[in-house]
Amino acid sequence: MTLSKSQYVRANYQVNATPQLKMLSDDQCENILNGALEVLERTGAEIHSEEALEIFKKGGCWVDGNIVRFPSHLIEWAIRSAPSRIVISNQKGERTLFLEGQNVYYGPGPTNTYTIDPFTGERRRPRKSDTVRAAKVIDALPNISYAMDCGTVMDVTPTLSDVHAFQAMLENTNKPIIHWGFGIDQYQDIIDMAAVVAGGLEALQKNPFILLYSESSPPLRHSAEAIDKAIFAAKNNIPIVYTPCTFAGGVAPATMAATLVIAVADSLVGLVAGQLVRKGSGFVMGGLISTMDMSSTILSYGAAELSLLSAGLTAVARYMKIPMFSTGGCTDSKVIDTQMGLEAAFSILVAGLSGANLIHDCSYMEYGATSSLELMTMDDEIIGMVKRILEGVKVDDEHLALDVINKVGPGGHYLAEDHTMAHFREFWSSSLINRLRYDGWKAEGSKTMGQRVKEKTQDIINNHKPEPKPDHVLREIQAIVDRAEAREANKQ
Amino acid sequence: MPNNYEELSQSIISGQLDRVKSLTQQAIGAGDNPVDIINQGLIPGMSVVGARFKSGQMYVPEVLMSARAMDAGMQLVKPLILSEDIPSAGKVVIGTVKGDLHDIGKNLVSMMLESAGYTVINVGVDAGPEKFLHAVKEHQPGVIGMSALLTTTMLAMKDTIELLKEEGLRDRVKVIIGGAPISQDFADEIGADGFAPDAGSAADLCKKLLA
Repeated sequence: MTLSKSQYVRANYQVNATPQLKMLSDDQCENILNGALEVLERTGAEIHSEEALEIFKKGGCWVDGNIVRFPSHLIEWAIRSAPSRIVISNQKGERTLFLEGQNVYYGPGPTNTYTIDPFTGERRRPRKSDTVRAAKVIDALPNISYAMDCGTVMDVTPTLSDVHAFQAMLENTNKPIIHWGFGIDQYQDIIDMAAVVAGGLEALQKNPFILLYSESSPPLRHSAEAIDKAIFAAKNNIPIVYTPCTFAGGVAPATMAATLVIAVADSLVGLVAGQLVRKGSGFVMGGLISTMDMSSTILSYGAAELSLLSAGLTAVARYMKIPMFSTGGCTDSKVIDTQMGLEAAFSILVAGLSGANLIHDCSYMEYGATSSLELMTMDDEIIGMVKRILEGVKVDDEHLALDVINKVGPGGHYLAEDHTMAHFREFWSSSLINRLRYDGWKAEGSKTMGQRVKEKTQDIINNHKPEPKPDHVLREIQAIVDRAEAREANKQ
Repeated sequence: MPNNYEELSQSIISGQLDRVKSLTQQAIGAGDNPVDIINQGLIPGMSVVGARFKSGQMYVPEVLMSARAMDAGMQLVKPLILSEDIPSAGKVVIGTVKGDLHDIGKNLVSMMLESAGYTVINVGVDAGPEKFLHAVKEHQPGVIGMSALLTTTMLAMKDTIELLKEEGLRDRVKVIIGGAPISQDFADEIGADGFAPDAGSAADLCKKLLA
């Protein structure tokens, strides 16, 4: 069968290759950015690091005690100087995350103070073995594109929780890693371990598989730990995610626009520090932005405003051509339940539609206090559905299939057509969503979504075998962990 | 002139700072006993606020507006009373521990405690064990409250407790802790006397510990 030519002789034909969600227009983005520039020039930011104060002063900022005021031209220079695209490899050196344009990649979140054991259901303090489990699940799930630690490991030397978690991830997944550190010493350990895997520091810098992660304390306050990490990352030429946690009504005004202004301003402080240290160093802006619940005072991870504000912040990041670290797949629910499912689905969809490059926290329960591998497994399914929606509708001769429609004619069916054979696999098919007829579902044990999620999570932990790293690499990583332990023991 | 304590309480509940000030001033002008103004006008209003907040009928910003109005009234009345006669539920020293700059939660707890009638001595952020010790020696509070947001800095809470023990002061003061990573388990582990999961329950906890 030959297809007829298009009926159209086209001019100025526009295509929506994907669905469109742009929370703010370019003019609104400019407005928000100008607001942030005004805040930084007029109000300034409080900086608690001598090194950072020195860098800002030398760079042309006005420094008055701890308060730094930033001339707008300096920030505009920094925005232009930072790369609009950062490519992150996996641990085998294959370039996998293209943080550019509106590419979206999902992953879990870091540093929860509790975890839900996927076997016992117990909510307890995370152990190193939990990060081992998390890394395995991350490694196995196709729609989880990078690793984070899924909980602060608490059964190791407290000040090396970050280093041990990083080791656990290196040993159990080859996906890229976004990781935090308590301070500069630990960051050095982490970079050294990553360099072992990459085959040297230069190889790691050329082809990074890690992004370092730092959180400032809004409004307009940057601890030494936070800003020094941005400086450290730039010095070492490793990209950083700099992410203030901005919540409307608490550390920002109760209006959405002002909350965006605070979040952008606080991100820009980290950006300027990094660019002054090394022009062109990789910077990803964050991050976590939502409302404070005015009854419980939690920072809500399930609020409609989390999605609204995250999409707004993503629009501003895109306007500035800075890669964006956003949030989704998280919930305020304490258990695996309907609230969890609906909050996770909403935020994954909106974050995906917004085109944020890195979308994290696909494992966060209980307003971020608790991590759950079951939630991550379920999020993987939701992300699959969302990615299908993001594929959009292709409109061309092959996909319009007018010849096939003519051939089958009125009242016919398409089940046995070559065209159907060629395309029906484009339908998204699921592993966890249940579409069996009633009797089939009953025959399989009448399981709920929660039960299926639990079984799949347990199956991965019990049976998934991540591709192992060479012994000498593992030994060198262990040596760096031992070195860190010795250093911390000396500090006591 | 009949006293207007009912209206004063209502103005506290609705967070009308200027109204509270003028009603308090009127009561003072009418020669009311300042202690009565506090006990029959200001505190009953704040008690209603506390109860409504707990039951979800009032939100945090509204509570803070009420607390601010209450404080404005107190500032007018306080100079008229000998300090030992000012009704106080007790003294609390409060601060964010060493290495931690996060103080929004801590400040919220301070305001809640003040509006529940406690005298609060706020030692600020990045407060090391010595700072808490110094405040305990100087102010002799019934309770010290420590706050931390970070899993690393929360470990510093134990250092303060240890220092209090070394100085022989541990038995004279109750230690309560709070903050995002804190739990009852952690409080038990480091030997604190109590843990409050949120600002509202911190006042109840103090009341329980000082009873």
